[in-house]
Amino acid sequence: MELREFFDRDAISLDLKGETKDEILKELIGLLGVDEKSEAILFKMLRRRENLGSTGIGRGIAIPHCRSLVVNRLRVAFGRKSNGIDFQAIDNNPVHYFFLIVAPPLEVSNQYLPVLGKVAQFAKEPDVPSRLAEIQTPDEFLNLLAEKAI
Amino acid sequence: MHPQLEILLQIQDLKAQRRDLAEVESERKVEEEEFQIDPEQAIQSIDEKIAELEGELTPSVRSRYERISRDRGRAVVPVINGICYGCFVSIPTSLASDVRRNDEVHHCDHCGRFIYVVS
Ligand SMILES: [Zn+2]
Repeated sequence: MELREFFDRDAISLDLKGETKDEILKELIGLLGVDEKSEAILFKMLRRRENLGSTGIGRGIAIPHCRSLVVNRLRVAFGRKSNGIDFQAIDNNPVHYFFLIVAPPLEVSNQYLPVLGKVAQFAKEPDVPSRLAEIQTPDEFLNLLAEKAI
Repeated sequence: MHPQLEILLQIQDLKAQRRDLAEVESERKVEEEEFQIDPEQAIQSIDEKIAELEGELTPSVRSRYERISRDRGRAVVPVINGICYGCFVSIPTSLASDVRRNDEVHHCDHCGRFIYVVS
């Protein structure tokens, strides 16, 4: 399965409002549409993962990810913060583009790691940061994923 | 959600994260190469957090948690379509509707694992 097939229009925000790492994580989790308690648990898990080392992989892109029992299938979201925020990224540059990946601990289809790998691969495409800066609508984001066919 | 259930879920999530780093070679590699994590250091820090959360369990929950963890590995499992995903036996209908609220700490009568319903 290609990356495009994992993303829903509803789980894309091109105008994140948060100004801090925590606010951005909460906003991304909000795109998944889970209940409040589940949101709180996901936030704790993602925060703990960030404490082990930032998921900001450089070039303005971060891939917050975790496994949690509060989801029953792999869930992904994309968010853009045009001004960028300090996410303690590996290259110390501000992060503008966020790919959230959450999966249950036991997945029948075992998609978590492949999707994580595919997003990392997508992020390394030379033109991806500039293309992500230009997109105007969620559909354009989905088209970019489809075009890259990763 | 019952506070003790919330702690149990967090412990189980951390254990899943630990298992990925310690036992799943491909996962460890992604964390090392793409995210520049030191797996050994990360595992140590996850273990500390697990121990801290275990300390927040009440004695009765903790004793079941320890017994099940020792005997059966995973102590907290989801209920999906009325089935306990620890032992794959159906949860009785009356218990299933109670479990769905997640406002009490329930366990599977068959395998003893704590059960949780994903909303
Ligand atoms: Zn069971």
